[in-house]
Order: sequence, then structure tokens, then C-alpha cells
Amino acid sequence: MNFTKIIRVAGREFASTAMTKGFIIGALVVPAVMAALIPLIVILSASAQPSADKGTIYVLDRSSEVFEDLSHRLSPETVRERWEDRAKRASEFAKGMMGNSGGEQIENAMSFIKTPEFRIIPTAPDADIEEIKAEIRDQMVSGVELDDPMYKVLAVVEVDIDAAKKANESEGYGSYQTFFRPKLNEETVGEIESGIRWSIRERRYENAGLDRTQIAELASIDERESKEITEEGERKESSEIATFLIPVASLVLLIIATMTGGQYLLTTTIEEKSNRVVEVLLSACSPMELMTGKIVGQMGVGLSLLVVYNSVGIAALIAFNRLDMISGQTIILFFIFFLLAYFMLASMMAAIGSAVNDMREAQSLMTPVMLVMMIPYFFFMPVVRAPNSMLSTVTSFIPPISPFIMIMRVSSTDPPPPLQIAAVILVNMVAVVAFLWFAAKVFRVGLLMYGKPPNLRTLIKWIRMA
Amino acid sequence: MNSVRKTFGRKVAVEGIDLSIPQGSIYGFIGPNGAGKTTTIRMIMSILFPDSGELSVLGKKSAVESKDRIGYLPEERGVYKKMKVANFLIYMARLKGLDSAGLKPKVMEWLERVELADVAKKKCEELSKGMQQKVQFIASVLHEPDLIILDEPFSGLDPVNMRLLRDLINEQHTAGKTVIFSTHVMQQAESICDHIIMIHEGKKVLDDTLGTIRSRFDPRAIHVEAANAGNQSQAISAVPGVASVRIHEGHHVVTLDEGMDKQQAMQSIITAVPISKIEIKRPTLEDVFIEIVTGGHSGDAMDTDHEQVRAKLLAGSKETQEVAS
Repeated sequence: MNFTKIIRVAGREFASTAMTKGFIIGALVVPAVMAALIPLIVILSASAQPSADKGTIYVLDRSSEVFEDLSHRLSPETVRERWEDRAKRASEFAKGMMGNSGGEQIENAMSFIKTPEFRIIPTAPDADIEEIKAEIRDQMVSGVELDDPMYKVLAVVEVDIDAAKKANESEGYGSYQTFFRPKLNEETVGEIESGIRWSIRERRYENAGLDRTQIAELASIDERESKEITEEGERKESSEIATFLIPVASLVLLIIATMTGGQYLLTTTIEEKSNRVVEVLLSACSPMELMTGKIVGQMGVGLSLLVVYNSVGIAALIAFNRLDMISGQTIILFFIFFLLAYFMLASMMAAIGSAVNDMREAQSLMTPVMLVMMIPYFFFMPVVRAPNSMLSTVTSFIPPISPFIMIMRVSSTDPPPPLQIAAVILVNMVAVVAFLWFAAKVFRVGLLMYGKPPNLRTLIKWIRMA
Repeated sequence: MNSVRKTFGRKVAVEGIDLSIPQGSIYGFIGPNGAGKTTTIRMIMSILFPDSGELSVLGKKSAVESKDRIGYLPEERGVYKKMKVANFLIYMARLKGLDSAGLKPKVMEWLERVELADVAKKKCEELSKGMQQKVQFIASVLHEPDLIILDEPFSGLDPVNMRLLRDLINEQHTAGKTVIFSTHVMQQAESICDHIIMIHEGKKVLDDTLGTIRSRFDPRAIHVEAANAGNQSQAISAVPGVASVRIHEGHHVVTLDEGMDKQQAMQSIITAVPISKIEIKRPTLEDVFIEIVTGGHSGDAMDTDHEQVRAKLLAGSKETQEVAS
């Protein structure tokens, strides 16, 4: 084996695959653009909010004491003050979750939401509610543009006479009823509803002789982050989503990286064979050098995908301040399992590519390979739920699905013991050697065989032959 | 090569070929389609390995150890379709162990020589078949190999490019390189080679210099065009030393007795019959080729006793001496 030749073959293989516009756009630019688009979409969807509701709210206050608080609570100044305060709190929360940039994005997004503006008009305590409701209907039926949008009637509120003060001790409190014009913004409805409830509650506290601040103090309990106790110490409690997210993301990433490299290896091998360029190549290097070079070259393709996606993933974890969810050890194991999985898949792909004449013929031989590659998906649920169950352990020792099962286990919150990881790696290394041996045999014979594509029996014959 | 044998399944592709090609010579491999030429060449290249027998290339056990000193133009032309012409050549040369330093001007120089300088930046798939072939030829000589093996280098080329390629091959030969090439275009073999190997049904049936082959396959025949119209066979037959006369395409084909001097026979014929043209028939490689392939039942390919030629032929491939008459 001549290493210079292997490196040159690998270099061409990598360059012809990864240095193409198609690959760079498909594999690297698209995810990057998507990542950049997400905040843009948030902003766009926020700015697409309907214009803020402006108009009149009629209040039929039979209790005669709720209106004052309500009119203050829903006055334009207090509403705006409350909304600005809410945006600030949301952005601070986002900063804690996603870092400064995320917070700014939320703040920007919130600034697009327009604050509603109300004109609160009391009606006579003995007014007919039906008449007031009729005004909304009349405005809608006539469809006439109003001189001042503030005259548009948004809602009618009817507060019961005993809403804030019981008529007698044996009965409960009264309530209130709101009538809305249809198609109001959700925020407007919420603002009005909460305003009324707050006003009524406020009156009730006062009538009962209770102190509002004291009640608030009594009702509020500070939240503290809950933690999990582990062998090594303590850690943040892993949420249900987090326990699933990392193993699934790892599995998908591993499959994407190995399949991309493997698929390209298959295509370039078939291309070289059907182009008949292979014979020229074989006059310069041996089949083993050619195959090794190609496998190494496509390994570079898979690795560069992994590095890019992993960095994006880690960047996301840093942004969400959840870097504790993965460890350096997991990342190292990830790359080890990638190499093991890739070498097994690549061996199969190289063998298939060398044995067939075109892509169409490759399909029939690819079917069993693809089925094998699907197996980890089937085991995903049971393995992630119970990373150390009998099933998980046993499937971890079956190449070529072993690396895929293992990546879910090691990235889960309950990784297998180090000794078992080492044992699995050892088993896979043996399997890799066997796969490569098999591939080398088929590759050597297959490359110059044209004509009828081989079936499994002829493949075995070739292995004996080589 | 020493009694090299190669089988594919039940089919014997090459059967016991002995061969030695001296350095600096230019050898032509001829033989019909499917005779085993490409298989033999692939074995020399160590792309295929013989089932039995031994071979050594450039003093090494196999070409694997001396691949960088061999230039190879396979019968199946192949280029990377999406690669640019110059890049493809640079890649091939680097794969052959050349340093990248100074490689680019060298590639350009070669492309200029075959009048392809303007396509250096084009993708290989944009080239015509003939252009691709020239590019491939460059790939096989770029690394200045000591041994150049060309499998059907002329197929698909127009006469201008054929001549260009022939000159390039001769140039390599003059520079002291060993050249082996296979063809089934006999004129090419005749005009370039100094030594011919013929393979037929996996066996070597001919291995000699062009001159030796010509003299061995000498049909001992003279073409005579009589001045007077009509059949002059009887008059010619009367000339001493003439074995037989027959008419072919308007002229008389005179076969001489074995050992008869041609010059003397010609003079005798001239005195016997008034003639307008007389010449000694020279065997062409094509005649030999067709003769061997068809086993002597080629109709009018050679106007001579077929059995006799076959005997000569067999005498040429040593081991069948006793069959010779």
C-alpha cells in the first residue's frame, strides 16, 4: 500500500464531492440559512399582527363601585405601561434562555405588537343592556366609517349588583358578563377580561377589609430550579424533551453523516466504473489503494458534515444555556461511533458500487443495506426510554446497527458503564475489519466486471476467487 | 511472460502464453476481437492476475511494483466527466507519483502538442471522443514512463489524428521507450511495429519481426498482367518452375515451385508471354491475419496454397514442428 497514492485518491474524492456547489449549498448553506431565517420568521409573524384594537367599552356597572378601578386599569396610559413592562420581562427571560441576541429578538418582536387603546364609558346604572348591545350591531350593519375610530364600540360589560359585595352573608358574590364585537384580537379580549376581574377582586378585598399587598405576599412562593441527584453530584432536572432531544438528534446526525458519505461513495464508484475511468486508475494504483483512498475521502465528507452540524448544535446549546446536556466525552464517542458506523456502511457501498454497472442495478443490492439502516429507528423509543435495558444492551453488540444504538445510549442521561462502551467499540472494530475484508475482495473482482449484475451467490464466488 | 494462463469461469481467456519483449522495442499485438489481447495486457499491467504461469515487468515480479514507470492507455477509455481536462491530467500524473511542481506547464505543453490547448479549462465531458482519446494518451505518457502500453490507440480517430498519434508513438520509441500496442488495424501495425505478436483464441500464434513474417509467409507468387487480352495461363504454365496459374481479378496469379528464384521466374515469364505489368506478391499482415483467423478458408485473401501457409504458420510457433511438411 502506497500512502501517497491513497492520500491523492482521497483528496480527489473529497474535492470532487465536497467542493461542489451542490454539496456546499445542500449540506452547509441550507441549514445555516434556516438557522438565520428562524428569528426573521419570528419577527415577520409578529409584525404581521393585525392592527391594534381601538374603541369604546361601555360599562353597565350595577354595583356602582367597580367602574372606577376598571376605568383606571384600562386607561391608555396604564395599558401601555403594562405592555411595555411585559415585553421587558419576556426579553429578560429570553436572554436567560438564549443569550443576549435571543432577548433582543424577542424585544424587537414584541415592539411590533400594537398596544390596544380603550375609551371607557359608564352607562346609567338603570340603562337597558339590550339597547347598548344594539349599538354594536348597528355599527356593524351600517358599515359607515366613523369620524373617530375611538367611537367604535368594542365591548359591553355588565357587572352584577352584588359582584363586589354580597347582598347577604348566606349567598355568594355576583359576577359580570361581557359582550364583544367579533374578530377582536386575542390580546384585546384578554386585556378587557383580566381588567374586569382585577377590578372586581380589588373591590372585594377592600370591602372585606383585606390588604392587597399582604394577599399578594401570602400567595406568592419563589420558584427555584429543581435538581437531579446523580452519582457524581447534582444537575439540573432533565426535562422530558431534553432526555429525548439529544439522543434523537445524535442518532439522526449520525445517520445523516454516515449515509451522506456512503451514498457519495456508491455514486462515485459506479461513476468511475461506468465511465471506464477505473482501468486508467488501476494502471496507477492498486484496487486496495483505490478503495482505501475513496473510503477515506468520503470519510472526510461525512466528518465535515458532522463538524458543521455538531458546532451548530453546540452553539444552540450554549445559546440556550444547556451545555450541561452533553459532555466532551459524548462528543468524542460520537466521532468514534461515526467512524465505526461509516467504515461498515462504506465497505458495503464500495462493494455494491464496484459490483454493479449503474445506479439502477445498485438499487436491488441496496435494499438490504437500507433495511439494516432503518433498524435503529425502530429501536429508538425503547432504547431512549430505557438506555440500559436488556434490549438496549443486546442490540448494542450487533454490528452494523451497534454504533447507532450506542450513540443514543451514550448521549442519554443514563449512559452505559465505560467498560461496556469499550467492549462495544472492540466488537465493532473487529466487525469493521471483517466488513473491509469482504469489501476489498468484491471490489477487486467487481471493478472490471461488466455485464450481468451479480447476485449474492456470485458475490460469494467472487470473494472466494479474489 | 512464462506459460501464463488466465480463465474467467469456464472460459479460457489466455492459454499458456510465453512472451518476452526487449527494452526499447516497439511491439504490436494483433488478433481478432476477443482473442485475449486485452486480458494479456491487463495481466502485464497487474490489473488482472494470471491463474498460473509467471511474468515480470521491468525487472520486477509484477507491474504493481513498477506502475509509475508504465504508461497505460486502456481499451476502455475513461475520464472523469466533471473534471477539467488539465486537472484530470494533473491528477493522473500525481497519482503516478509526479510532484505537482512544474506539472501544469508540462500538461499545457502536451495539450498544445496535440492541439488541445484551448480545452484545458473545459470539462472532460465537453470533449469529443477523439479529443478524449488524445487526452488519455497524454495521461499515459505524461509521467515519462519506460514502458508504454497502448490498447487500441487508434480506434475512433480520424486520419489526421491517426497520423499525429503515430508520430507521437514513434517519437516515444525513438526516445528509447518500450512500446507495446494492440490493434486490429493491420496497416497501423505494419507501419509502426518492428515486431508482431498475434494472439488467437487465447494462444500466441505469431511472434516475429515484420521482416521474418513477410518472408515466412511469402506466398511465392507473381502477379502477371498480360499485354494481350485473354487467358495466357497455358503459356505461363509452360515456364519452368511454375507450379500453378490461376486468374484473379483480371490478372494471372502465378505460384512458383518451392525453391524457385523469383527473379529468374519473372524473366522466364517475360520472355514467354508479352506482358504489361509484372510484380512479386508481398504478403500483407492483413493476409496473414485473416489466414490465421479463418484457418485458411478465407476465399481470395491469399492466392496460394492454404495448407502450405498453415504449415508455415505452425512451423513458426515452435512446438508444432512435426506438423510442418
